[in-house]
Amino acid sequence: MFPNTKRDIVFPIIGSAVLFVILLGGGLIYQTIIGNGSAERLITTMLINAIIVIGIQIYIGNTGILSFGHIGFGAIAGYAFAVYAISPDEKLKRIPNAPFGLTETQVSPIFAIMIAVGVALIFAFIVGIGLARSGAQSGAVAATVITLAVLFVTHEVAKSWPELTGGNRGGVSFAIGASLGSRWPILLVLFAALVVARLYGQSRSGRLAIAAREDNLAARAMGVNPLVQQMVALLISVTVVAVGSSLRVWQIGSILPDRFFFDYTMLTLVMLIVGGRNSVTGAVLGVAVMTSARELARRLGQNGFEVFGIGLDEPPLDWIFRENLNSVVLGVAMVGFMIWRPTGILEDWEFDQWLYRKFGRGDEAEPERMDELEDIPDVRFTASDISVSFGGFQALSDAGITAASGEVVGIIGPNGAGKTTFVNVITGMVEATDGHFSIGDRPLEGKASFELARSGLVRTFQNLRLFGALTVRENVETASLVAREHRSDRTVRDVDSLISEAGLWEHRHRRARELDYGNSRRLELARAAAMAPSFMLLDEPTSGMSDTESVTMIEQVRHMAATVGAGVIVIDHDLGFITGISDRIYVFDQGRVIAEGTPGEVQANKAVQAAYLGSLAED
Amino acid sequence: MSELLQNLIDGLGRGSIYALLALGVAVVFGIMHLLNFAHGELITIPGYVTFWAFNNGWNWWSVIPLIVVVSILSSLLIERIAFSRVRGSKDFTMLLTSFGVHFIVSAGFLLYVSASVKPIPRPDWFAKTVAVGGLRIEIFDLVVIAVTIVVLAGTTWLLQRTMFGLALRAAADDFDTARLMGVNSNSVIRGAFALSGFLAGIAAVFWIMREGQVTPTAGINPMLQGVLAALIGGLGSLRGAVLGGFVLGLAEVLLRSWLPLGIQNLTTGFVFVMIALLFIFRPGGLLSVPQVERV
Repeated sequence: MFPNTKRDIVFPIIGSAVLFVILLGGGLIYQTIIGNGSAERLITTMLINAIIVIGIQIYIGNTGILSFGHIGFGAIAGYAFAVYAISPDEKLKRIPNAPFGLTETQVSPIFAIMIAVGVALIFAFIVGIGLARSGAQSGAVAATVITLAVLFVTHEVAKSWPELTGGNRGGVSFAIGASLGSRWPILLVLFAALVVARLYGQSRSGRLAIAAREDNLAARAMGVNPLVQQMVALLISVTVVAVGSSLRVWQIGSILPDRFFFDYTMLTLVMLIVGGRNSVTGAVLGVAVMTSARELARRLGQNGFEVFGIGLDEPPLDWIFRENLNSVVLGVAMVGFMIWRPTGILEDWEFDQWLYRKFGRGDEAEPERMDELEDIPDVRFTASDISVSFGGFQALSDAGITAASGEVVGIIGPNGAGKTTFVNVITGMVEATDGHFSIGDRPLEGKASFELARSGLVRTFQNLRLFGALTVRENVETASLVAREHRSDRTVRDVDSLISEAGLWEHRHRRARELDYGNSRRLELARAAAMAPSFMLLDEPTSGMSDTESVTMIEQVRHMAATVGAGVIVIDHDLGFITGISDRIYVFDQGRVIAEGTPGEVQANKAVQAAYLGSLAED
Repeated sequence: MSELLQNLIDGLGRGSIYALLALGVAVVFGIMHLLNFAHGELITIPGYVTFWAFNNGWNWWSVIPLIVVVSILSSLLIERIAFSRVRGSKDFTMLLTSFGVHFIVSAGFLLYVSASVKPIPRPDWFAKTVAVGGLRIEIFDLVVIAVTIVVLAGTTWLLQRTMFGLALRAAADDFDTARLMGVNSNSVIRGAFALSGFLAGIAAVFWIMREGQVTPTAGINPMLQGVLAALIGGLGSLRGAVLGGFVLGLAEVLLRSWLPLGIQNLTTGFVFVMIALLFIFRPGGLLSVPQVERV
């Protein structure tokens, strides 16, 4: 579940505790200075908002999918809580004809919260399936509209079903004995929410979700099924939001459709965005900053209040600083941050990870060089009779290759020969019109790309696809997490050893997006090796490299493959590189395999000279 | 049978307005991949201007062009102030920017005008009906449908037969290549926003007439219907957006007449459920644009 106990469990809990104390402490200080009931209510509201914003962060932050629907789930939970927690006497006044015999039912508030969570989770699960179907991935527009629809449907139903909800006017104003008198439940839940959010972010599921957020395609090529991780994130996130929303209803003592609609969605989203949506610390900071900003704006709108001579009473300032100014502040903050700093104040800086780097990590010694694997399981990759046609165009006809474990097989051919189509077929990106491919006796055609990766065929990309926001080590760790689950019959190599093997040890804490080109290539190789693959498929691994770099790459690829016992299938149009690295070569031309053999044999082949070298010579 | 016909015409009337809104959303989405949650403000803003104009003695004939002009100007202004600054950003950023613009506009009206409903007089022919073979058809519906047909035909001509249309379609297909081919990105984006504003302006005329009032949050529903219709049709497809608008309008009217009395209020909810089902079976919408995954 967690790659590193100290980094992923201990420090996140410590960090959560510190954040909790800072937020609460700041609130208590303000409350004491102002010393009236409205300040006290403000702080209570802030703490509840923090729970809900942290809940939303779990989904939006880790998946990168913008959701407007969480407050809709909050509404569902809020109503479920209210309807179960109110006493039958109160219900007779408000909702005497409630369906399902709910008028007579009453349970304890804690139990009502559990019911609320359960109900919200059922709806979240259904919506989650819809999101998955809509091709949800980071920034997906359709997914966002679906979540917006969730918000509207819940609002619409709450308004139009007065038998259950009390409708828009009356609301379910209720007494469950009393409103939430003490802050203790809120504090307890807030701390729990912080810990849950941080632990999830560091957990296996969280890591995989973040990898998919950074690059969906690359994550799938590393054996991650993003849809599963997004669903896990959604359910955990909705759980936190549901508890927070129940507390919100409990604290206010009533619920109305409009309390869980556009304005509250906007408030919570702005809080999340301002602080930095990819970080829990950011979410907490955003809550604090926006609560302060709105409080200031509200007070500036009050008669007689002024800061540095700015206040309500003097025209023309009076015209600007009026009541409800705090709602304009929200809109301006959102647009302003989107224009000037879309990643928020903290981007993805996480307090506990900073603590860990400062105090927890200590010195790390570079691991020894790894030995090559002694006994490599004997498997064979076979692709036969693969044909693909796009409309009328025959991109591949009856192409096939075989590769044995421990072997390096090269595929070469001029542009348009069908190399890329072939790679796309055997990595599950394009469906073949005809043909079979398999590892051992396990047929692979028709499988999704993440299943292919789990079966042992792992690819790299011609145009680099790293998880940019993750560090070098986290990139390799992600692949290793998948390998431990799905490749456990093979030797899964130690993450640090692979990093060191790729010559990236000194860069291990840098973010992948900061690496130069050569190092990025080497990181892709290390990440693929961490999957404990049976076969590594390298798509133009030297494109953009100099000749000297290419030569070094030959040695690195061969050694890296040997340390994990993988066969290599490499596609390139650099003849020197392919002949240098390959044991056997397949030559593609116009969608067919026109020659096969050792580098020497292929170079002597007349058909190859005519088709490939001939066409090169003409260039 | 006659009830069905009646509903069909009613639904086409509603759908026409949605189609105009959806087409405006789709034009902007096509060109800069921005799903404009502030599209409804192109109705709210002219709505308040209309309220002001009637208080100053204008009549509908002079207000109609005013609405369209204000809508176009608002669209261009919002592009200039907000959207031009997030051009080429991630979808996430653009979505939230448009959401923020919506919020600023509605909060602005709430703060500096009033939270209360501002009434707008309907034209005197609004409630009149004509009898055609046993059907009583609202003149309003007929006008809406007729005007929409003309506007859509004009838009088609604009997109298919003019240099601007060609540039816009090229830019929607591949923005970078279009720029390399000499399409001026600024003017084509502004053109798209102007077209989007024009279409919203026509829709605004009918929307304001039908509602007979304006409030700070008046833009939410038209925005939602426009965005949903564009999504139903298939985001990125202009034809799909128009189709989606009509489908949404018909679905609403037919559902309302078929649902039993007790749950008629839940029509919107049912429409959403149907949309959800549509997405489960056709994730890309009715006329989905094939998305090629670039490796």
